[in-house]
Amino acid sequence: MKTISKNIKKSLLIILMMFIILIIYISFSVYRYSDRWFSDPSNSRVNIDMTNPSLIPGMVLDRNMKVLVESKSRIENGQEIYYRQYSRESKYASHVIGSRQLGIGVESHFIRSLLGYDNSMLETIYQKMSDDKEKGNNVILTIDIELQKYAYDLLANEKGAILLLNPKNGEILAMVSSPAIDLQNTNNRPEGETLVNKVTQGMYPPGSIMKLVTASALLEQKGEQGPFVFNCNGQNLIDDIKINCAGTKAHGLVDLPKALELSCNGYFAQVAINLGRQGLKDMGERFGFNKDFLFNDFICGKSVLELNKNTKTEELAWSGIGQAEVLVTPLHMALLVSSIGNNGNIPEPRLLHAVQKWNGEIHYRKNTKPILKPISPQTANELKGMMVNVVEQGTGKEAYRKNLQIAGKTGTAQVGGDKLAHAWFVGLAPAENPSLAIVVLIENSGSGGKHAAPIAADLLEKATKLGY
Amino acid sequence: MNLRHFEILSLSLRYLFVLLVLYILTVSFIKTIWDNNRINTRGTSGKVPFIIALFSLSAFGLLAGLGSLGYDYFVLLLGLLVSLVVVFQFYFLYYFIDGIDEVILSIVDFLFVIGLVTLQRLSPELAVKQLLWFILGNIGLFFLMLFFSRDKGLSKWTYPMMVFGLLTLLAVLFFAEEEWGAKRYISIRNISVQPSEFFKLLFIVVLSYWLCERKSFLKNLPLFLFSSLSVILVVLHKDLGSALQYFIVFIFVYYISSSDRAVVIMALLAASLGSLLSYKIFPHVRVRLKAWRNPWEDVYGGGYQLAQSLIAIGSGGMLGLGLGLGEPHVIPASRTDFIFAAICEEFGLIVGLSIILLFCIILLRGMRIGLNASKASDMLLASGATITICIQAFIIIGGVTNLIPLTGITLPFVSYGGSSMFVSLCIIGIIEGISIKNAQLANKEGDIKAEGEGGNENN
Repeated sequence: MKTISKNIKKSLLIILMMFIILIIYISFSVYRYSDRWFSDPSNSRVNIDMTNPSLIPGMVLDRNMKVLVESKSRIENGQEIYYRQYSRESKYASHVIGSRQLGIGVESHFIRSLLGYDNSMLETIYQKMSDDKEKGNNVILTIDIELQKYAYDLLANEKGAILLLNPKNGEILAMVSSPAIDLQNTNNRPEGETLVNKVTQGMYPPGSIMKLVTASALLEQKGEQGPFVFNCNGQNLIDDIKINCAGTKAHGLVDLPKALELSCNGYFAQVAINLGRQGLKDMGERFGFNKDFLFNDFICGKSVLELNKNTKTEELAWSGIGQAEVLVTPLHMALLVSSIGNNGNIPEPRLLHAVQKWNGEIHYRKNTKPILKPISPQTANELKGMMVNVVEQGTGKEAYRKNLQIAGKTGTAQVGGDKLAHAWFVGLAPAENPSLAIVVLIENSGSGGKHAAPIAADLLEKATKLGY
Repeated sequence: MNLRHFEILSLSLRYLFVLLVLYILTVSFIKTIWDNNRINTRGTSGKVPFIIALFSLSAFGLLAGLGSLGYDYFVLLLGLLVSLVVVFQFYFLYYFIDGIDEVILSIVDFLFVIGLVTLQRLSPELAVKQLLWFILGNIGLFFLMLFFSRDKGLSKWTYPMMVFGLLTLLAVLFFAEEEWGAKRYISIRNISVQPSEFFKLLFIVVLSYWLCERKSFLKNLPLFLFSSLSVILVVLHKDLGSALQYFIVFIFVYYISSSDRAVVIMALLAASLGSLLSYKIFPHVRVRLKAWRNPWEDVYGGGYQLAQSLIAIGSGGMLGLGLGLGEPHVIPASRTDFIFAAICEEFGLIVGLSIILLFCIILLRGMRIGLNASKASDMLLASGATITICIQAFIIIGGVTNLIPLTGITLPFVSYGGSSMFVSLCIIGIIEGISIKNAQLANKEGDIKAEGEGGNENN
């Protein structure tokens, strides 16, 4: 009898624990994911029903209150027909705006605000009592449509992605994914690849951009014994692994600033090997690799840096220079470079500037805390100095501008086969106190210094002229 | 009542519903904390049936205005009927049966009412049926309660019960009709029964009476054979939820009676082997597991049910969309397995979590009745019955919220299902029977007002 009592108590505790875990799990996942579940395209509760709406969805505006999408109605056969009107400029931001039918962009993601589900109960009841038709709220984006158009034109007919954001607060000023989609005509659904916003969900090898991570790991190493130098002869053999530099050009004796400036593969491969699998992986994960970003404003892919005990040294060396199995999203690279321009802090990227209530009140979004702090301010400043050199005399010379000091890093990511490499450029401007961070990616075009760098510099110049 | 007015009323009533639910929860909780002695103190929970009746009347009163054909007084009448049934059932048992655990009773009544409201909202024709099953189930509860409140030597009946139970499960395999890919129901005329539900009752009784005497491992072999056969047969019905439930109940009851860790570990190993095997053999198990790992991967395919369930829960938020204002009917099986998601959508997360907490209180009280029992068989019966109900709730709520892989099973007292409602109430009958027995024994000893558990240790 005694043992039975004891065991009943034990079982009670076990099952009680199970229920407590269940409660915590449900509360946590609803707190964390409910907005995402709510705005899922397969949620039929919040589809924009325009046939006979009792509720008219709000507008989408850019940060200067230019209308991008609005609800309109026309009389047809004596019947009032509602529809969603995309403005002429909206085509420059097709992936940002998106549509509910396609389940992409802010039209889908901010559906809660657009349909007024974020109103308080009193507001809802007031609206239901007073107005003929309920109105949703207007969504004001951080995008500047003028910059967006400029970036769109810069990409022209190339496939690729551009992202311009403020490294201090994460506000996204322009986000282009090319080719664009035709939002007016959603009857023929675009194919999978076009539908994806390449900035947030495209997965690419980072190429030499990854050297910033490897360099940070080297700089952050405690108790270092003087600067690390390496003798590059163009066709390096490191532990029997062949690592060529671009054009098999010999860089001679290089230290870190010089190696970054010239984008020396041999140097960083050697550093990666010295750091070891865990060392490089740790640094990468501090920057947000392998992390499921749960941003409030959009869904973002997970960058992959897989290094474990079974990883071969060869793979480790190539990972250190951004090849092998490393895959990143352009957004993630923009965040990485933001941390260098923002004293080592990565801000949460933001697309929602404010919500304008149905009665005209504007509720600005509060500033969010940095999501990650991968490197110390000293490391960030040292790296920024080196990146200035990259643009002034290194691989990023094409991004040099007389009246704007730009810090940058080029990348040329090999994709295998006989396809041309992806061209990357990440940058900060003005270098002294960066208020702009940029990433440019052009698919299968060749070297980053030649193809991506000038585009980035043009956009940065334009943004500076507009006062950002 | 036009649509606008209905919406405004529904939005406002959300607060009333939450308040009522929290009241019931608080009263039940305080009662559970306070009566540490084994005789139930009477008091506050006497009001709970009226709170439940208020809940039922306001919810049905609101739902009467949902249809497009104007105010439907029949629905209001149904709400009144439900309130009367609940109040009558509660006070009948509360005043005439000495020693009944009225907190468990009121929780069961509330769970039934919130389930019935959701059914009325989703498919009104099922609500009346469910009410009939509830009344029928209460008759079962009453008789089982009387039966188990007296000493009955059921030990000699364990073998016949085992054989009978296994034969029934075997019969299902041959005679049942397939529904949703699972063979669960046997239809006799128009009434379909689910033998695997009734088997739960038999399973608890067999386990308790077999294990109330200590036996050697070898002498326990027939029980092991019986338990594993029943689990395997139910797996062959493709009724994975029930199989999981039998298994967990067996593990707990066996451990409680014997403290034998070796067998528990062996059983767990055998179960993992079995699940691996069924993963290899049955394609539907693979689909379930894949959906569990990421329901969003295949939103319109294997992950559809779960994704819709999560979307419903997420859409509801804290207070819910308001009764009648959501779209719970897009959740597959929203009347049965996924009713928890439907409740969360329209009543909100607070009510959803309160339901889980109410099951926790059933657990606490049921296990305490087991602790207070005077005989090993009664201790096992009460704890086994409590575990059966609570594990079932855990399996399905964990399943629809994607904590554990989804296995189809009803949420006791809430989901639609005649067999499930009847059997769940019968299981409560067992618990109440033991509770009455405990009280009678305490009366005999003459220390009615004893305080604290330690004061009344038997033997």
